Amino acid sequence: MTDQEIIELINSSLIEEFELEAERMTPDAHIYQDLGLDSLDIVDMVVVLENAFKFKIREGDGVRDIRTLGDIHRFVIEKKRALEGRTA
Amino acid sequence: MIFDTIIIGGGISGLTSALILARHGRRVAVVEQAKEPAPLVRGFHREGIYFDSAFHYAGGFGEGEVLDLFCRYLGLNEKLTKVPLSDQSYDVFRDSETGREIAFRRGVAALRESFSKSFPEQAVGIAGYLSDLEHCCRTLPFLNLEASAVDWNIGAAMQGPSLAEVLAGRIGNPELRHLFSLHTLLHGVFPQEVSFAFHAGVAVPYYHSACRLAGGGRSLAAAFVGQLAVSGVQVFLGRGVKRLCFSSAGSLSGVELGDGETLACRECLVSIHPRRFLDLVPEGALRPAYRKRLMNLEETVSGYVLFLSGPRRPQLLAASNLYLGPFGSGTDGRLQSLERRPLFVSGAAPAPGSGTECGWTVICPADWGEMGIATERGRGGEEAYLAAKEAVVGRIVQRLKREAPEIVDGARVVAAATPLTLRDYCGGPRGGIYGVKHGIGQYNPQAATRIPGVYLCGQATAAPGLLGTMVSAFLACGQIFGHERLRGEVLAWR
Repeated sequence: MTDQEIIELINSSLIEEFELEAERMTPDAHIYQDLGLDSLDIVDMVVVLENAFKFKIREGDGVRDIRTLGDIHRFVIEKKRALEGRTA
Repeated sequence: MIFDTIIIGGGISGLTSALILARHGRRVAVVEQAKEPAPLVRGFHREGIYFDSAFHYAGGFGEGEVLDLFCRYLGLNEKLTKVPLSDQSYDVFRDSETGREIAFRRGVAALRESFSKSFPEQAVGIAGYLSDLEHCCRTLPFLNLEASAVDWNIGAAMQGPSLAEVLAGRIGNPELRHLFSLHTLLHGVFPQEVSFAFHAGVAVPYYHSACRLAGGGRSLAAAFVGQLAVSGVQVFLGRGVKRLCFSSAGSLSGVELGDGETLACRECLVSIHPRRFLDLVPEGALRPAYRKRLMNLEETVSGYVLFLSGPRRPQLLAASNLYLGPFGSGTDGRLQSLERRPLFVSGAAPAPGSGTECGWTVICPADWGEMGIATERGRGGEEAYLAAKEAVVGRIVQRLKREAPEIVDGARVVAAATPLTLRDYCGGPRGGIYGVKHGIGQYNPQAATRIPGVYLCGQATAAPGLLGTMVSAFLACGQIFGHERLRGEVLAWR
């Protein structure tokens, strides 16, 4: 998967699962203030990302530091590249 | 009449919540589908003998321990007669193959000492493991009333490491690892799948003290019923809930019952299976991600339950539970053949002064669907189901005759339950013996939901067992009143 494909899959998954508007999905969108998620949604976001990318997110991976959609993109890309590096 | 809070589901977590809320002056109603409150724990009579169905023994019930404090706080204590199991052997583990017995002694220090005698080469590992276990349990809010619930990070505690990983790091002897794993029967999740922290939270209170109740689960139900009456909680029995109602502004306004009557309320505590909660709320009230998470929650193992009675009460069961299983079998994260699974054998204590004979119970873990087509009565037919059930019961009885003859000699099976029975009574779609499991990689719902004024409680949110379900009620009510305030109120009863 290219970075762009990863970003598209993240955006489309979040749009569907959290009923978000596509035009709001810019990298600088704040997940709480702009996308309207709250702390209760973080667990659901973790589950959505796990299912979309077939990996497991563990505590300590840095999920709690995520603030913007761009943070999510970077988080998943790094996680995916790290896992690919391990299996390569 | 507008209720402050309506509680959907009158099991232990729902009734505990009702008492907590009533203590704070709330007008509370409980709606329960069954004809009596606490239907699962109240057991049943068959042929004049009382059998316990869901409650067998509780941990953390010793003087001043957490469950004891909960019961004092809720006003249940005077209504219950605790029967402590043997300090020397509250749980006896017997090896299926050699008949060798290892007893769990009350208290972590006593356990460490006795296990170190049985496995001297493992003494360091045993001490380390038990110390880790106790330390871990102390970090869990409402299990340790000294610990603040405010900064607690549920994700970190429940997502790993697994019990199997910690045991592998501490204990070299596979037989001992297996012994330390057998108490996973208390939550129904394999050592490879359960987090060490969750296992600690369930097992350690039993290590501290293990008690039965005189009169079994029925007396527990009676204690709740008595306390609900004096607390002014209104209980609607034999009534199911159809849906939650919302005002035009979108805020919770009430609960519509199955028969069409609507009860007005400001707040709602949902203590039923999380999956069934989804049926009560309009599609748009919860996001698809949350709905899917609740829909896909996996369950614990299921089980076969045999109810036996006989001319004499087995001496061993008077003050102990018996666990049977091959010590050397190991646990690789799946169920072995019926002949090699762990069995749990327990007998209820008679009600005080009743002299009534009590039967005893044998629980064998099972997978949903392992009875094949007979699991679905509709497809396999009643006859196929009964034949499959009889075959399973026969195999378990054969085992008992070999491995615990002093208990089964002269006894007979009065009733038996299968995964299908558990599904029908407990509401888990796959007959999970403890409902929704608490496993690594699964994110169970918490008390707060996205709908203002609607909270979840029940074993799926905290833990199974009497203690776990009560903790779930304190966590839910803690969302309403503040965890620290509730914690302080319970502590005042120490």
